[in-house]
Amino acid sequence: MAVLSVDAVTKRYDTVTAVDNVSLGAKPGRILGLLGPNGAGKTSTIRMITYITVPDEGTVSLDGTAVGPWSQSLIGYLPEERGLYTKMKVGEQLEYLAALRGVPPAQAHQQARTWLERLGAEDWWDKKADELSKGMQQKVQFIATVLHEPALLILDEPFTGLDPINAELLKEIILELKDAGRTILFASHRMEQVEQLCDDVCLISQGQVLLSGGLREVKQRFGKNTVTIDFVGDSSFAQSLADQELVRILSHSHQQVQLRLLEGTSERHVLETALQHVETITRFELDEPPLQEVFVQVVGEQAQSPTSTASQ
Amino acid sequence: MDKVWIIAKSEYLRRVKSRAFILTTLLLPLAIVLFIGVIAMLSVSAFKQEKQRSVAIVDSTGVLGTALVSTSDKDLRFLQSDDSIDSLRTQVSEGDHDGYLVLPRGSVDGEGQITYYSAEGGGSMLERRIERRIEGVVEEERMRRQNLDPAVIQALRANVSLRMMRLTDEGEEVGGTKMFTVLGIGMGALIVMMMLIYGSVVMQGVIDEKSSRVVEVVISAVKPFHLMLGKVLGIGAMGLTQLVFWSLLLLVISMAAGTVIAMFLDPAQYNVTAGASTAQLLVAADIHIPDFPASLFIWLILYFLGGYLLYASLYAAIGSMVESQQDAQGFVIPVILPIIVAMYTLVPQIENPSSTLSVVMSMVPLTSPISAIVRIAVTDVPLWQSVLSLAILFGSSLGVNWLAGRIYRVGILMYGKKPSLRELIRWIRLP
Repeated sequence: MAVLSVDAVTKRYDTVTAVDNVSLGAKPGRILGLLGPNGAGKTSTIRMITYITVPDEGTVSLDGTAVGPWSQSLIGYLPEERGLYTKMKVGEQLEYLAALRGVPPAQAHQQARTWLERLGAEDWWDKKADELSKGMQQKVQFIATVLHEPALLILDEPFTGLDPINAELLKEIILELKDAGRTILFASHRMEQVEQLCDDVCLISQGQVLLSGGLREVKQRFGKNTVTIDFVGDSSFAQSLADQELVRILSHSHQQVQLRLLEGTSERHVLETALQHVETITRFELDEPPLQEVFVQVVGEQAQSPTSTASQ
Repeated sequence: MDKVWIIAKSEYLRRVKSRAFILTTLLLPLAIVLFIGVIAMLSVSAFKQEKQRSVAIVDSTGVLGTALVSTSDKDLRFLQSDDSIDSLRTQVSEGDHDGYLVLPRGSVDGEGQITYYSAEGGGSMLERRIERRIEGVVEEERMRRQNLDPAVIQALRANVSLRMMRLTDEGEEVGGTKMFTVLGIGMGALIVMMMLIYGSVVMQGVIDEKSSRVVEVVISAVKPFHLMLGKVLGIGAMGLTQLVFWSLLLLVISMAAGTVIAMFLDPAQYNVTAGASTAQLLVAADIHIPDFPASLFIWLILYFLGGYLLYASLYAAIGSMVESQQDAQGFVIPVILPIIVAMYTLVPQIENPSSTLSVVMSMVPLTSPISAIVRIAVTDVPLWQSVLSLAILFGSSLGVNWLAGRIYRVGILMYGKKPSLRELIRWIRLP
């Protein structure tokens, strides 16, 4: 069990403030989604949590104690830019990385076998990393992250390079780990994955926290202003509504449109317009905006506001 | 620190078990022995194949010609000739003679130019050989003209051979300085080779870790300085294994060499009784097997360790600054410059191992691993000098290690452009 707490942390590189007064927390049995555009400060924040770097200001603590060498073996870290020792065999590799985190050799061997089996990779023990495909390497890296049974897991874009079947398997495992009471930090800019997995979210941009809280609660703050329509027939109504500046099109496909109601537009008006054009409507739903939309809106607003230049 | 141990152990075992390491360790001495053998065989057979040269003499002195003819031996055969120069020219071009020698009338008194004509031009070896013959007969003729008793002339002929002995604290040692010159060059070259090879192995290891991006996971568990230290120590242990193996091999070979050589010697040929001991036989045959003092190998290992620590940490720092071997070249050159200087001044240092140059270079940490071991091999270095030089070497190794660690911890997380000198200084200064 590990409660992660990042308190008013600032990190500067040269003249750039990579992380600016960031606070966030993660609790056991929950998954915190760390979101943000490229270069937002996610990796810088994670490096301070893993004690690769230290903050210029503020504190990072695990269960109330400042992180340090002691906490490194309690953390499992899967970085976004990741790799393996190319010439080392998979088994040897896993045992070595586990040994560096203080796992006794026999236990490391046993755990590595178990995990490889779980991920359908029991035959890879004697294969060198550069003989494996990208996706296979990815699985080995994931095993290296969880092998020492860390209380805090930091997964930065864990699904990239995985086929849908393996992505599903990984998701299952992550949820199991969550249910087993691990604290999980999930960094990504794939919003649909965040929505599927996370209990809490924290949105960082330009080194600052723009949004944080429970996933549902954060979305509710943006109100029920998103309409999803599944239909059969002519879809041109969406474009004409948008042309009249009544709605903004969030997504548009052959059979579905997702619209954001602009100030003063009623959902009723949208429904009536749609009915006039299409043959059938199979779904009409008024809901909170998708996370993707929240993300674009919040980050977009920050980019326009004058304070954003000050934080650069 | 237990993590340094885990890393060093993994680096060591992983590399020592590799086929490349085992093969180099076993085959390199074999390759050197073969190489020396081939060179020796080639030079011996080249010497044997040296044919007898026939030289026609056009003598205007009336005395030197006859005297020269009497010096003919297996190398040079002199023949008096009354033929014209033109006819001799043809004879030489047709291969009847290798050349002809013209001795003008005043040759005995040093007047006129003695000239040797040949198709091949003649090397300096041949020139000196013919010159010596002529000098000999001219000398004899001059002495005869002074009416010296032939017995006196005979007595004046001193056939001197010089034997080189080496003075050590324990007394004098046969074996000659020549052997120690070879040993000095060999030791210097070995230590340079080992430092450069193992330094590059460290650098390659760091580059691999960085470019494969595995380093971020590793340093989320280990302090970067500990990672660097573990790598340097593990790879150093591998170099040490090789060096100790080779040293023992050389010791064993030098101990066994006398017995082996003696087996091929015929006691009768050297006027020694058939039951003579190996040592007696070797002395009679004028063969000296130098016994390598074991202390030399201890110094070799100490200097390798100090030099390796120094250069390997520099190499590790360079590895952390770049992403590929090619990018590293620009940084490596200034680092190996002192080694090149030490190698280029190796011969004057061996010739003059107690000169100021040699002593200074055996103290300066970047050159001392090479210069000091060469001095120890060829001369008796005062103990205090060796101890001081080692102390300076290890002291500065630790300093450089610390500096390299400061660069390394920042460098391994930096991707993109190579750092400038100013950036490096800033990295070192970062908290």
